[in-house]
This record gives sequence, structure tokens and C-alpha cells, in this order.
Amino acid sequence: MSTETALPLLPFAGRTVAGRPSALRRFLSFARSRHWTFGVGIALFALIAALLIAGPWVTPYNPASQSLLRRLASPSAAHWLGTDHLGRDLLSRILVGGQFSVLIAMVTLFLCVTIGTVVGIISARSGGWVDEIIMRLVDLLISFPDVVIAIFAIAILGPGYGTLIISLTIIGWTPFARLSRGLALVISAKEYISAAEVLGCSRTFIIVRHIIPNTLRPIAAITFLRFGHKLITVGGLSFIGLGVQPPQADWALMLAEAQPYVERMPLLVIVPGLAIFLTALSVTWIGQGLELKEAR
Amino acid sequence: MWTIALKRFTLLCATCVFISLLAFIVPYMNGGDPARTILRSRMGDVALDTEAVEALRISLGLEQPLYVQYLSWLKAALSGDFGYSFVSRAPVGQEVLRSLGVSFTLAMAALGLALLVALPMGTLVALKPGGRLDNIVTFLTQSLVAIPEYWFAPISVLIFSLYLGLLPSAGWQGPSYIVLPALVLSLRPMAYFTRVTRAAMIDVLQAPYITAALSRGLSMRQTVVHHGLRNGSMPVVTLFALWLAGLLGGSVVVEVIFSIPGMGRLIYEGVVNNDVPVLQASFMCIVVLSIVINTIADVLYILLNPVVRMGHVH
Repeated sequence: MSTETALPLLPFAGRTVAGRPSALRRFLSFARSRHWTFGVGIALFALIAALLIAGPWVTPYNPASQSLLRRLASPSAAHWLGTDHLGRDLLSRILVGGQFSVLIAMVTLFLCVTIGTVVGIISARSGGWVDEIIMRLVDLLISFPDVVIAIFAIAILGPGYGTLIISLTIIGWTPFARLSRGLALVISAKEYISAAEVLGCSRTFIIVRHIIPNTLRPIAAITFLRFGHKLITVGGLSFIGLGVQPPQADWALMLAEAQPYVERMPLLVIVPGLAIFLTALSVTWIGQGLELKEAR
Repeated sequence: MWTIALKRFTLLCATCVFISLLAFIVPYMNGGDPARTILRSRMGDVALDTEAVEALRISLGLEQPLYVQYLSWLKAALSGDFGYSFVSRAPVGQEVLRSLGVSFTLAMAALGLALLVALPMGTLVALKPGGRLDNIVTFLTQSLVAIPEYWFAPISVLIFSLYLGLLPSAGWQGPSYIVLPALVLSLRPMAYFTRVTRAAMIDVLQAPYITAALSRGLSMRQTVVHHGLRNGSMPVVTLFALWLAGLLGGSVVVEVIFSIPGMGRLIYEGVVNNDVPVLQASFMCIVVLSIVINTIADVLYILLNPVVRMGHVH
């Protein structure tokens, strides 16, 4: 028992030990040891996520129902944020408008992190020509503008959610491969890896048990920091009509549709953009808090 | 050093061949009759007469195996002949060149503006890492990147063009048209440049030659400007090149919003109109350019760094 509490950072954590604080309490104390942006970011994102999930049940109006008699209405008791050019309730559309883009950004990021980390670690552990080839490929792909590659992929494969995810993953995995390779090289030089090798541990065992757990923390920080970029890119593609398609309510799409009415109803542009900004900002803050040491 | 250069050059050539293959294959993957698509692109007109299509098919060598077709397409492409646009009927090569010039101007303006703010800011902050100013700037640079440009652009148009009437809201007719799009585009690189300058300057300012310069009686300002910035700006050069390559075409959204006739809008319209020759040419152009720019940045990095240049580091 005493060894368990003395080594709380062992990667085998997860089993319950008598007398250990609950998961929630441990999480709270972890959050308190971080920069304030970590806690604020998590709270903000939890709120946004809750609203997005609850969206369909709490919207005051059907987000798709049009009413041309009440088009471009100013905020009122009936429509808190006013209505758009087709008379649809802005608040209702904002509440459901992030579902697709946030989900797509999350799935893309998950794919990028998984592929990148695995490839990077394999590259570092293999060395030699495998490492050389993988890293040259990364050097090459990392210099391509991701939006342009995504547009070309959509042009060839046709628009759709699957295409969107694939097209953003083609380039997106490379920074994670570079990062995890660097981390894996540093870890590989540690004595406990030599010890494991001497003990006759298999290559897979060393990677799964020693290297991956130790790369998780820095990779997690970068993952959170990249989320905003992914969300904004997905939004950008939707904005020019290559992402989420029109009947669906989507923040970036709402922004695009509101362009001709900027002067008459600035809220139509300000609110959806603010939603994207706050979502991106909350996750960025989580990453920033993970990266920075406690500084209050 | 020469082996590095040779390696990079070989890689560059291999990639260009691969990229040209991808670009060549586009009309074959797009669905529809590739022969008709290619014919349309090469003739600059729709050939509806079946006999004419067959005749042209033979005369253009579309009966030949793919690799022969690829080689002849590549030969034309290398001399700048990518065929004619479906929409404007103009030679694609010229159109790409013109758009590239516009995008390049815009990118340089945006990145110049970013550098103008980022270099002094990053340096100032690096003088006192962990200080109050440092915390504020770090926080700001992390948060700035969360602003979507398609939100910032209409808002800045609203303020500067519609309310204040200072700047034009869209178009590309003179120097005043560059200001707003460049401002919108500069935000994100500004944040990254500041962060990289800060990190590099913190490293540099701890070097022994800084102490030496200070102990020789140079003022802090002279030391930072002459010794610090010269060494500290090297990572920024690499980042600058990466961003330059990224903004040629990567500024699609901003170019569409401000209706700027640059690379991004060319690609966007190419996709919307399924304009195959335009897509082929711009794809080749952007990818090859980004590789070339990155190679130049790497070489520049080596040239600027005496330690690498002299071959002390392998």
C-alpha cells in the first residue's frame, strides 16, 4: 500500500486504492495546481458543450422554421437575439449551430493525434531508413497549406462530412508525428528504457507501457492548443460552402449567409462569430493552462 | 553541407514528379468522361460532335497509354502551358501567374505588419521573462489565434468602411484596398511570430557573448539590437517562410470575403465551377512553391548560422 501512494505518477494508475481521494477531488486539486486559464477554460467549454448537447430541447423556436413576415427583426422579448434574413430565430440557431463543426473538429483532431503519435513513436524507435523516410514525408507535408489541400481533396472526393475529416487529417497528423518523435527520442535515452531492454521486454511492450504514457501530457497540451485552429478551419470551409451544407444551422454558415445584412443587422454576424471564438478560446485556454506552470 | 543540399534537391525533384502525377490524374478521378474533360481543357471549347471527339482523341494521343499522355502533359506544363480555363477561356498559366502576384503582395503586407509588431514585442517581453508584461502578452498571443478571420473581417469592414468610411470594403484597385485584408490576415502570424521571437530571444540573451558584450561596456539596447536580434531572429525566418507558403492560397476565406483576385479565390472558383485546368495548374503551383520556399528557408537558416555553415554540427 505504501508504495502505491509514494508513486502516484506511475502509468498503471486507474485501479482504486483504499484511502485514495476520489477522482473528482484529484481532478480539482490538479486544476487548482494549474494556471487559472485551465479551470476557466474547462468551465466555459463544459457550458458550451452542455448547451450544444441540450440544444434541440431548449431552443425556443424550431431553428429551421422560417417566417418572412418577421425577417431581420431586432432583438425583442419574443426573439432575444432577433431573426435572420429568412425570419429564423437567431438564438435557436446559435444553440444548435455548433454541433457539427465542433464534432468534426474533435474527430479530426482525434485522428490526427492518434496517427501522428503512433507514426512518430514508431519512427523514433525504429531509427535508420524507416525514420528517415517517415521524417522526410513529415517535412514535406508539414509545409503544405492545410486549407488548400483540404479544398483540393474536397474537389476530388466531393463535399461531405467524411471528406471534410479525411481532407483535414491528410496534413493534420504531421505536427503530432514530429512532436511525439522528439519526445520518444528523449524518453528512449532514459535509463529505465535501457533497463526494460536488458530485461528482455518486447519492442511493443516498451512502446505501450513506457513511451506512450510518458508522451501523453505534452501531447495533450498541444492537442488542446490545436483545437481552435481545427474548429476555425472547419468553419472556414463551411463559410465558403465546402463544409457543413446549408439547410443545417451552422455558426460559420450563418456568418456567411449574414454577409449582405451586416449593416442592417450587425448581430447576425457578431453572435455566430462570438460563438466560434468562445468555443475555440475555451479549449485553447485548457491547453494553455496545461502547458504553463502555475503562475498566480 | 553539400550532402544536405544534394539530399534536399533530390527530395525536391522527387516530390515535384509525384505532385505532377497527382495533378495529372485529377480529370481521371473527377467522374464523367476524362477524354471530354481533357479535350475541353485543351481545346478551350466543348466538343459535342462525336466524330470530332474521336478525331481529337486520336490527334491528341488520348488512345495512347497513360504514361505517354502524362509525359506529353508534363512537357507542356513545364513550359507553362496548362490549357485553357473552362470559365474565362483564358490560358491558365497566365491567370495563375497574375493571381499569384496578388496573393504574394497581400501575404507580404500581412506578414510585414505581423513582423513589425512581433519583433519588438517579443524582444521586449524576453528581457523580463515571467514579468507582468510577459504574462499579458503570452495570454494575448494564445487568445488571438482563437479569432476566426471570417468573423474579424466583416466586423472590421463594419467599423472601418461602413461606420467610419475610411477604407474600401472590398476589391483590389489600389494601396488602400490592401489595408483591411492585410490587417485581418496578420493577426494569427503576429501571435506566432511574437511567441517564437520571445522564446528565441530568451535563449539568446543567456548566451555568454551577450554577457561579454555587456561587460565590454555596450548598452543594453546596443547589445540586444546588434547581438541579440541577429541571432534571435533566425527561427523567425523559418516561420516567416512557412507562413508565406501557407498564405499563397491559404488566404482563401479572406480573398473571398474581400473579393481579391488572388490564388485563394482562383482555387475557390475552380472548385465551384469544376474548372479542371485551373485546379491542376494552381495545385501544382502552390505545392511546388511551398516546397521551394521551405527549401530556401532551410538553406537560409544554414547560411545565417555559422555553426552549421562550417560543418561543426551534423
